[in-house]
Amino acid sequence: MTRFLALLRKELAALFLSPIAYGVLTMVALVTALVFFEHLSLYNKILFLFQTTTMGGFESDTIPNHINLRDTVFNPVMDQLSLLLVIPIPLVTMRVFAEERARGTEETLVTTGLSITQIVAAKFAVTFGFALLMMMVSFVYPVTAIAQGGLGAQHLVAVFLGLTLLAIGIASIGLACSAFTTSQIVAAAAAVALAFLFYDFGWTHAFVSEDFAAFLDAISLRPHFRRFAEGLVFVSDIGFFAALAVVAFVLCRFALNLRRVVG
Amino acid sequence: MTTSESPVGTGAHVQARELCRRFGDHDALDRVSLEIARGETFGLLGANGAGKTTFIRLCTGYLVPTSGSLRVDGISPAEYPRGVQARLGYVTETSRLYPDLRVQGFLRFAGGARGLHGPALDEAVEGALDRFDLAGVARRLVGNLSKGYQQRVSLAQAFLHDPALVIVDEPTSGLDPLQQGDVREILAELQGQRTVILCTHDLAEARALTSRVAVLSHGRLLRTGPTEEILGEGDPLDLFRRAVSEDALHGDRT
Repeated sequence: MTRFLALLRKELAALFLSPIAYGVLTMVALVTALVFFEHLSLYNKILFLFQTTTMGGFESDTIPNHINLRDTVFNPVMDQLSLLLVIPIPLVTMRVFAEERARGTEETLVTTGLSITQIVAAKFAVTFGFALLMMMVSFVYPVTAIAQGGLGAQHLVAVFLGLTLLAIGIASIGLACSAFTTSQIVAAAAAVALAFLFYDFGWTHAFVSEDFAAFLDAISLRPHFRRFAEGLVFVSDIGFFAALAVVAFVLCRFALNLRRVVG
Repeated sequence: MTTSESPVGTGAHVQARELCRRFGDHDALDRVSLEIARGETFGLLGANGAGKTTFIRLCTGYLVPTSGSLRVDGISPAEYPRGVQARLGYVTETSRLYPDLRVQGFLRFAGGARGLHGPALDEAVEGALDRFDLAGVARRLVGNLSKGYQQRVSLAQAFLHDPALVIVDEPTSGLDPLQQGDVREILAELQGQRTVILCTHDLAEARALTSRVAVLSHGRLLRTGPTEEILGEGDPLDLFRRAVSEDALHGDRT
């Protein structure tokens, strides 16, 4: 445990000594705030219009049910935030393994007596912790406002859990990409490409059989997140993101062990 | 610890038998057999690309051999890398340190990674800072230090857990003459205290610090024996020239 904690402290220091971490946190918080206030502004305009004029046959005091904070502001913001995560998370994960290998510090790390499992576990733990922090930062604005909208604590928790698991899923893809290259740029580009590819295969439904479409949905990120966004927590969805993390963990271990054999 | 109190025991500390390591179709090490006794300071000599670094990477367990056997303290680094790593200190090139960490932070990490904690870790880090004259730069970032000080940091982290075997890779490479002198002085103090494998292409350094040497060329062990015997005759630079030409006689290995 001592060894693991020492490594954990080193990984935390490496993450927060990097300007990228602060840049990504700031970017995600700003973009979430901008998207959120854009939707809030639109919602207010719609409300204003309904209350001052007659639109589409509705009277001024009969606002349709779907015009509410949850459906007009919170859910679209969360959906856009889920897509937004595909860009900044690979910027954080790209350096985790690739930088160690490019600098040669991987040799220092591996020869201090730490096991490959400990090394990978520490890097995953710190990256997942950062994903959680990023979600907390980006959740501040929507939660503050939605508290007025009566979304319900359970729904909020479900959405937060879903977003965090989605961020962990994307981070897992990024970590696996970082473990197989020495170039941070290649790691980031590959992670963004894979995360976009696996984000949602819904566009393929018109071209493939129903069974295959169901399979593609099962391996897509968004359908699993979407149920959380609706306030539904399924063990199968949690299992999907957990499985993604486990597969990435195994791949990272394999990549580090492979270097002992191929050099 | 003096030479008389040295942990020199019986049997080889490092034992390689027909050790081979291939990278693709390139033989980085080709049937190398050698023994390094406990407590001796052993030099691995050779030009760039001779196979010195590959040999020490096999000793540390960072790489696994393609064939042959290697034992460090009777343990196979390929099979039990952590068991071997607990018994050795590895002084890597300075570029393999963490430039973003402070000297003290880096040493605490290196000690913690080797299982030291609490007062034992505090004591080991303080001892290393004093011993390697790093107390004045303890709060500075490793990346902001001169190469000479970075080499001291690299040496310090390797001694934190008081290993019986120390592997030193090109310790004076890229240092100015004054810094080279400092590092050689530190290494000279180690003689007889523990087993040291010094990997270098600097013949003067090998002559000053080692008791036995092995000469590698293109992955093959060409000579091994007492330093004075191997380096004592004629122009030392002829050694490498002879090594390369002798190697060429044994076959083409580009």
